[in-house]
Amino acid sequence: MWRRTANGKTLHFYLAGINNQNFLMRDKETGTWWQQITGKAIYGPMKGTALELISSDELTFGEWKSEISNGQVLAAVKKDAKEYDSNWEPEVAKLPVVISFTGTELKSRDVVVGLEVGGSARAYPWATLLKQSPIIDRVQGTPLLIAVGPDGKSFRAFVSRVDGKDAEFFLQNGTKDWALIDTTTASQWNFQGCAISGPSAGRCLDRISALKDYWFNWRNYHPDTTIYKH
Amino acid sequence: MHQSSERGSRGLWTLFAASSLACIGLFFVPAFIIRPFRYQSPRALSLALMVRQRAPLGTLVAALICLLLVLALWRIARTWQRIVLMVAMLLVAFSAVMARINYFEWMFHPVDSPQFEAETQSKLDSAEMIMAVRFGNDARAYPIREMAYHHIVNDMVGTEPVAVTY
Repeated sequence: MWRRTANGKTLHFYLAGINNQNFLMRDKETGTWWQQITGKAIYGPMKGTALELISSDELTFGEWKSEISNGQVLAAVKKDAKEYDSNWEPEVAKLPVVISFTGTELKSRDVVVGLEVGGSARAYPWATLLKQSPIIDRVQGTPLLIAVGPDGKSFRAFVSRVDGKDAEFFLQNGTKDWALIDTTTASQWNFQGCAISGPSAGRCLDRISALKDYWFNWRNYHPDTTIYKH
Repeated sequence: MHQSSERGSRGLWTLFAASSLACIGLFFVPAFIIRPFRYQSPRALSLALMVRQRAPLGTLVAALICLLLVLALWRIARTWQRIVLMVAMLLVAFSAVMARINYFEWMFHPVDSPQFEAETQSKLDSAEMIMAVRFGNDARAYPIREMAYHHIVNDMVGTEPVAVTY
């Protein structure tokens, strides 16, 4: 998700091409071409400009509803609604890929959660994340917490630091309510990254933008990415 | 006299061939390079975008030149030559039109003005994935099933102009 302003102009984007299975968009105002996954202008008057990433989440509708009030949901465009494919994920997974990267244990269409800290990119294989959530990791010296939500589908990444100190978390066992416990203060934290009980109650972790993507696409636009290994 | 007019018409034919090929190439070269399910090298991609950017004006100029040449050549052309002129002119016109059309939107229709419904009105299943963003009290969800079709939504969330992409 991008802030659609650049060089003081508000831009309107439209789909205008494809580059190795990741789409290109163009803005109506200047005709510049932008790469969707990086937000970078690759050709045209604004070449070299980068859009600013807006922090967003990939959640289930249920999780989102439980966190907000008076939310607005993008309505279906009536004439296109029949084209929305509830089965799009396995359908897309069957499409051929045009680039592949050997030398890793990941296959092109494996799903990863990718993030960038201080210019370093790391990919967390979705299958590993499901098994190990919450993952505690470190990229460029920054302690990270990557967690799959109570629904087993939503995910978020945080800076794993409480009151300036690195923190570790584990999933609370034995109760029906999903919560993370930090090992320093034994406070309970919810999926929004906020402590709901214990000494840290009221504090929230800083968020980190993370993107769910196919490995080949993440790797292609983050050539120096590392892969998380436990 | 006869020789010089023949030489002149040969010049016109050459010019026609060059301008019609230029016009057709201005559309087909980038369309061929940025076709789906094919690898695009960085160099080929920038060539495609450079040509595509110049194609609307370039095809127009080339098509007008072609049209003038057809008018000039028509009288002296034999039947088979007239057929060649017509077929070439059709391809030229097609290229000039296509250079102005965003055919990528034939497959993925844009959302011209995004409409929203209250979360309580939405019939979306709880297990459906959405992309979520929030500015102040303005919390919005974009169902991934819809985004996987439209790919881009230009929206205003609170006072923030946002491009939701998937």
